[in-house]
Amino acid sequence: MSLRLERVEKHYPEFTIRLDLDVAAGSLLTLLGPSGCGKTTSLRLVAGFISPDRGRIWIDGRPVDREPAHRRGIGIVFQDYALFPNLNVLDNVRFGPQVQGWAPAEALKRAEELLERVHLAGYGARRVDTLSGGEKQRVALARALAPRPRLLLLDEPLAALDAKLRQSLRREIRSLQRDLGVTTVYVTHDQEEALALSDRIAVMQGGRIEQVGSPEEVYGRPRNLFVAGFLGRANLVPGTLSGREGKFLRLETALGTLQAPVPDGRLPTGSGRWVLLFRPEACRLGGRSGNRFRGRVVRREYLGALIELEVEAQGLRLALTVAEDGGREAARLHPGSPLTFSVDPARCWLVPQRG
Amino acid sequence: MSRLRRAGGGLGQTAWPSATLLAVPLAFLVLFFYYPLVSMLAGGLSDSVGRFNLGRVLAILRDPYYRRIIGFTFEQAFLSTLLSLALGFPGAYLLARYEFAGKRVVRALSTVPFVLPSIILVLGFVRFFGNNGVLNRLLMGLLHLREPPLRVLYSFWAILLAHAFYNFPVAMRIISALWARLPPTLEEAARSLGAHGPRLFLRVTLPQLAPGVLASAALIYIFCFLSFAVVLVLGGGPRFTTLEVEIYRLAKVGLDLPAASALALIGALLSLLALFAYLRLQARAAFAEELELAPAGHRLSELLRRPLGFLVLLYLAFLVLVVLAPILTVVGYSLQGRAGWSVGGFSPAWYGRLLDPGEVYLRAIRNSLVFAGLTVILSVPLGTALAYLGSRRRTAGSSVLEPLLMLPLGVSTIILGLGYLQAYRALPWLGAAFGPLSGSGGWPAVVFAHTVIAYPFVVRAVSPVLRKIKPSLPEAARSLGAGSWQLFLRLELPLLKSALLTGAAFAFGISVGEINATLMLATPQLATMPIAVYRLIGSYNFVGASAMGTLLMLLCFLAFLVIDRMGKEL
Repeated sequence: MSLRLERVEKHYPEFTIRLDLDVAAGSLLTLLGPSGCGKTTSLRLVAGFISPDRGRIWIDGRPVDREPAHRRGIGIVFQDYALFPNLNVLDNVRFGPQVQGWAPAEALKRAEELLERVHLAGYGARRVDTLSGGEKQRVALARALAPRPRLLLLDEPLAALDAKLRQSLRREIRSLQRDLGVTTVYVTHDQEEALALSDRIAVMQGGRIEQVGSPEEVYGRPRNLFVAGFLGRANLVPGTLSGREGKFLRLETALGTLQAPVPDGRLPTGSGRWVLLFRPEACRLGGRSGNRFRGRVVRREYLGALIELEVEAQGLRLALTVAEDGGREAARLHPGSPLTFSVDPARCWLVPQRG
Repeated sequence: MSRLRRAGGGLGQTAWPSATLLAVPLAFLVLFFYYPLVSMLAGGLSDSVGRFNLGRVLAILRDPYYRRIIGFTFEQAFLSTLLSLALGFPGAYLLARYEFAGKRVVRALSTVPFVLPSIILVLGFVRFFGNNGVLNRLLMGLLHLREPPLRVLYSFWAILLAHAFYNFPVAMRIISALWARLPPTLEEAARSLGAHGPRLFLRVTLPQLAPGVLASAALIYIFCFLSFAVVLVLGGGPRFTTLEVEIYRLAKVGLDLPAASALALIGALLSLLALFAYLRLQARAAFAEELELAPAGHRLSELLRRPLGFLVLLYLAFLVLVVLAPILTVVGYSLQGRAGWSVGGFSPAWYGRLLDPGEVYLRAIRNSLVFAGLTVILSVPLGTALAYLGSRRRTAGSSVLEPLLMLPLGVSTIILGLGYLQAYRALPWLGAAFGPLSGSGGWPAVVFAHTVIAYPFVVRAVSPVLRKIKPSLPEAARSLGAGSWQLFLRLELPLLKSALLTGAAFAFGISVGEINATLMLATPQLATMPIAVYRLIGSYNFVGASAMGTLLMLLCFLAFLVIDRMGKEL
C-alpha cells in the first residue's frame, strides 16, 4: 500500500505545484512547509479533489489519477473535522462502510471497534456538536479509518487544538497508525509535530519539495538554507572552500578557518560560496578542539532547563543553548561578558549559499 | 492555502452536474420571465404596426395625468417608508436592548405581515377603520356620536397606514438585528469619554445603525412603490392611483396592452433603480435579517419605571393592536349572521356556502390549492438549483449570471402578468399551449407566474444552509466512498431538509396569497381565493369576504407554522 507521485504538476495562475514523491507502505510521511507552500493542494491531488495537469499518481502500484475521489479508497481527516452534522457519532464512523456496501452488522462492528480504539466507546449516540475539539478529531480519525482505507491523509488535523491536546493526540495518531500499518501522509506547518511523528519528512516551499528524509536527516543534514532555516534554529557562517582534511572540508570565514564534513559524502564541485551551519545546542562553552568561536554575549535568557545566549562575533550573531549548570559557568555569563565556545566539526554542516 | 483551495477546480464536488444545474433553471427563466418581459418592453416601444417607436413612452411622460400618477407613486412610497421607519425604530431598540416577558410574542407578531396576503389586510382595514368599521362603531358608542368620527378609508391616510402596517416589521427586524450586534463596549467607550444622551446616540449609535436604516428604507420603498392591492382597494379612485394600479386598469379594464406596456416600462425602470440602490446598500453592510433572541442585558421594567415609561407600554400595545386588529376583525366578521353592516347573530353560515359544491367559491379554493401545490413542485427544485449555483465557487460567468437569475425579485408582479399577456399575443402557440386564447393565460400561466414570484424565496431559504455546508463535508463523504447519489441522499438532502421545507412553505404561502399577477392572468374559472375575496369586497359582501379571507389566513398560518418550526431547527 505504497503511494507514488511521479512528476505530478498542477498549474495555477500564480503558483505551480511540482511533486515527485514515494511513500513506503505502512510508513508515515509528513508534508511540512509554511502556509501557502502547496502542501494541502498536494494532499488534495492525492485525494482526487483536484486533478493534476501532468504526471501520475500510483497507490499500491496502481495508477489512480483518473479515478474519482470516492473510488480511491483513501481516508481523510480534515482540519475542521468535517463531521456530518446530521449524523450522530456512530453513524459518522460507519458512513464509509455503509456507502461502500458493507453488511450492516459488519459496518456496525467495525465502527464500534474503532470508537473503542480512539477511546470513545459509548459515545455512539452523541450528537457531533456536543463533542469537544479533541473528541471531534478522534471521531474524524475513526471515521476515516473505518472503511479500511489504502491510504490515510491528514490535513493539519491538530491545528485547531490547544498545545497540550495536540501533543497527546499526536501520540495517539502515531500509535494508531503504527498498529494498523496504514500508509499515511500528514500535512502540517508545525516542525515539532513533523519531527515527532514522521518516518520521513518532505519539506515543501513554493510548490516543490525541497528535501525528503528522516527527521534526523532533514534536521541534521539539510540540503539548503530554506530547509535549515525552517526546521529549528541554525547558526550560519558564510565562507569559501579552501581544501580538504580527511573527512572534513575547510572553509575560510570571517571567524577564521572552520571545518565541516563533506556533504552527502561527495566533494562539492565548483568553488561557490558555502555556508557552514550548526545548531545552538551543538555548542559547548570553552573547549580547545574543533571549530572555536570568540565573541561577546549580547543577550542572555534563562529558560529553566536551558540558558540561551546570543553572542556577537565579528559582526555575526550566533545563538547557543547550554544546560543550566546550577550557577557555575553558564549562570555567570551576562551581556557584555567575553565568551569562547566550540562546536564539534562533525556536528557542523555545509550548504550552498544559493539554491 | 485557502486561495488555492478556492481556485482549484474539482472532479465534481456536489452531486449535480453544473451544466444541467444551470441549463434547466435558465431555460425556465428565459421562457417564463425574460421572454414575457422582453415582449412587454417591445410592446411598449413599438407603434401600431410593430415598428420601434418611442411615441407611446413619450406621450405618457408628456401627459399631466400620468405625470401625476408617477408623482403620486413616488410620494406615497416615500411617506409610507418614513412612517414605517418611525413605527419600527422604537421596536428595534426595545427588541435589541431589553428583556421582557412578551418578547417572543412581539417577535412572532412581527412576522405576521410577511405572510398575510395583501387582500386580507385590505379587508381587515376596511372592516376595522371603515365608516361602519369596528373602530368607528366603538368610538360612536363611547362618545355618543351620530356620525362616524374617523374617515380614514379611501384616502391617502389609508394607503400610508396599510403600508406602514405591512412594512414596519421589515425596518424593525433589520435595524434590531444590527443593533443587537453592536458591541456594547462601543457605547461604553463613548460614555467613558464623556458622551451621553442624544449626543451619544447621534454620534456613536446612529452611524452604526445607518446601513440598516438605509437598507430597510430602500427595501420598504420598493415594496410601497410596487404595492398593488392596498392602493387598488383602499385608495378607492383615480385621485390615489399608482403606476401599478394604472397599469392594471389599462390592461384589464381599458384592454390597451401597448399603453399598459409603455407605462410598465417606465415603472419597471424606476423600481429597478430603487432595487439597485438597495443591493448596493446591502452589499455595503451585510446584515442579518433574523431577529436574535440573545439575552439583551437590560430588563424592560427598568425602562418602565422612568417618568415616560408608560409610553413604551403604549407603543407595544399599539404594535400588537396594529398587527392583530385587521386579522381579528376579519375572523370575527366572518361569523356574523347577516350580510350588510348591521350586527347579526353568530353564524357559520358563510362557511357552509364556501364549501358548497353548487357555488363558485369551492372552485376558488380548489384552484388556489392546485396552483399552490404546483408552484411548490416547480419552485423548490428551481430555487434549490439556483442556490446551488450561488453557493459554488465563483466561475467566470457567475457574476453576470447571478443578478440575471435574481432579477425577478425586482420586477413587479403586475408587470410580470402583463408580460405574459403580451407574450401570448406575440406567440399564439405559447398561449395555445397554456390555455384559452382569451386575452388571459390559462392555468399554466398562473402557475408559472407564481413560480417566478416564489422561487427567490426558496433561494433565500436554501442559500444560507448551503453556504454553511463546509466544502470539506462533501469531500469527506466522497473520500469515504460516497458516489454522487449517495452524497446527495445521505448528506446534502438531510442537511437541506429543513431549508427545503421552509422554501416549500414560503412558495405555498406566496402562491396562495398572490393576487396581482393572478388578477392579470386568471379567467373567471381560474379565480383563486384572494380573487374571490376581492370580488366579494367589490360587491360589498364583507361577511362572505371575511369567511373566505379567514380560510385563506388559515392556509397562510399553516405555512407560517412550518416556516417558524423549521427556522428553529436550522
